[in-house]
Amino acid sequence: MRLVLLVALLTAFVAGLSTGAVKINLLNMSDIERNIFFDVRLPRVVLAGLVGAALALSGVLFQYVMKNPLADSFTTGVSASSAMGAVIAIMLGLMPYIPLFALAGGLAGLYLVYRIASDRGRIQPITMLLAGIVLSTFASATISFMKFLSDDAVSSIIFWLMGGFQAATVSKDMILFGVICLSFLLIRGDYLKLDILCFDDTTASSTGVNVHRLRKKLFFAAALLTSFSVGYAGIIGFVGLIIPHILRLGNFVKASYLLPASLIGGAAFMIATDLIARTILQEGQELPVGVITSSIGGVFFLYLLIKRRKELFYFN
Amino acid sequence: MVGVLGNNGSGKSTFLNVLSGQMDFAGDYKVGGRKFQEISHTESARQIGFLPQEAALNMPFDAFYVVLTGRFIHSDGRIYSEQDVSQTEKAMKRFDVYHLKDRLFNALSGGEKQRVLLARVMNMDTEIFLLDEPFSGIDILHQIRIVDIFRQLRMEKIIMVVIHDLSFAIHHFSRFLFFRDGLLLYDMSRDELDPQKLSDIFGVRVGFVEQDKRMFVYTEEI
Repeated sequence: MRLVLLVALLTAFVAGLSTGAVKINLLNMSDIERNIFFDVRLPRVVLAGLVGAALALSGVLFQYVMKNPLADSFTTGVSASSAMGAVIAIMLGLMPYIPLFALAGGLAGLYLVYRIASDRGRIQPITMLLAGIVLSTFASATISFMKFLSDDAVSSIIFWLMGGFQAATVSKDMILFGVICLSFLLIRGDYLKLDILCFDDTTASSTGVNVHRLRKKLFFAAALLTSFSVGYAGIIGFVGLIIPHILRLGNFVKASYLLPASLIGGAAFMIATDLIARTILQEGQELPVGVITSSIGGVFFLYLLIKRRKELFYFN
Repeated sequence: MVGVLGNNGSGKSTFLNVLSGQMDFAGDYKVGGRKFQEISHTESARQIGFLPQEAALNMPFDAFYVVLTGRFIHSDGRIYSEQDVSQTEKAMKRFDVYHLKDRLFNALSGGEKQRVLLARVMNMDTEIFLLDEPFSGIDILHQIRIVDIFRQLRMEKIIMVVIHDLSFAIHHFSRFLFFRDGLLLYDMSRDELDPQKLSDIFGVRVGFVEQDKRMFVYTEEI
């Protein structure tokens, strides 16, 4: 199964690199093609892959923390509050600090949702979703208000709301890669604990897992991943929901399988959807990638709610 | 082997939760000569195996893996060893759930789940076991098998069990803690039990009958 994922990633990667507004023969490039390839295409495909990996991993982590398959950066409202942070940075003209503002916004939003949805250390799934929706709505309203206030920043703000990889650079790729490595290293030694966290808190805790400490760590890692993704690529919905769920159906159940697989699967998915977004329209026009993931994600979310109710019930 | 008895809401579960460190409490008690509040979280899990009244699992793990997770405190925290696996097989055979090992835990029946969870706790191999209603939902055949396992362990381990069936408790246990209205009312051995005290504790008139050198407890209509 792991092999299938790796092949999917490789295929998406090669297809993403060679296809686009300008078709590039990877084995025989002209000078112009080489420039396009190294300055635009490669950073963009890599950023798409990294953002996909980060969002899928953060989705998995949110699902462990919240004990709920419907949790991801989008449904918990963390994406929207990160975007609000990013928009504030744009308004203040502090472009280089966008990821930091996004992180602050994301952490604040996450804390709020967690406090509202947790009752004596247990997270109530329905309350969490409602709190996430409220937070998203509030953040969107704030963003709209700021759009209204400032005319010049409108186009960059719209970019954050739609999500996309047009602004990819090598340095962004490197930073995001670093963030993913850091988050992954932070939780790599905790696979067994993550599995035990799937029990109720009392069972998990009496088995020897410090539930609260682990949860805080996961929260932080998930918020870090989400914020940097949002800071560089805007809001891209549902990746963290679709990928882990498909992987679980494909028998990646234990954390030691699920976490690495979600990185690879997320990357492959995101590169593929970005490829669709930038080739589906004629003459080099692009569709925002968030439109594609959100429409796939919306249908998928509905499918989850209707078809797999029994499984959702287990999570309560 | 200690039986913990009392009506619903009398404080039995709270008592076990406190002893296992799952609930904050004032005061202190000693485990193995050391104050509990001074023992680290990991250390207390190494000393006390706790079966809560209600357990839930939200991942589709198979029964074998569920029992294996009981070995967490013995593992290096990253991977389960060969020994953990063989101990798990042993625990599952002991509790007669080995044939369920490949089934999904959440697809098992209530009684089967309970037996798997019991195997999981016993797989922790701690000195002390606090079991909150371990027999709930378990058929009489397996109740007897399980209590027999407890009896085999009673010399080396402390096993404290919340139980509701008085006749069953009196036959198998030798020491009893009785709770009423949040208070530990009596700490008695089997010989000290009398119908008057039990009636007082449970709020029902209780009588003893002896048959074939075995005590049975009956209750009268109110």
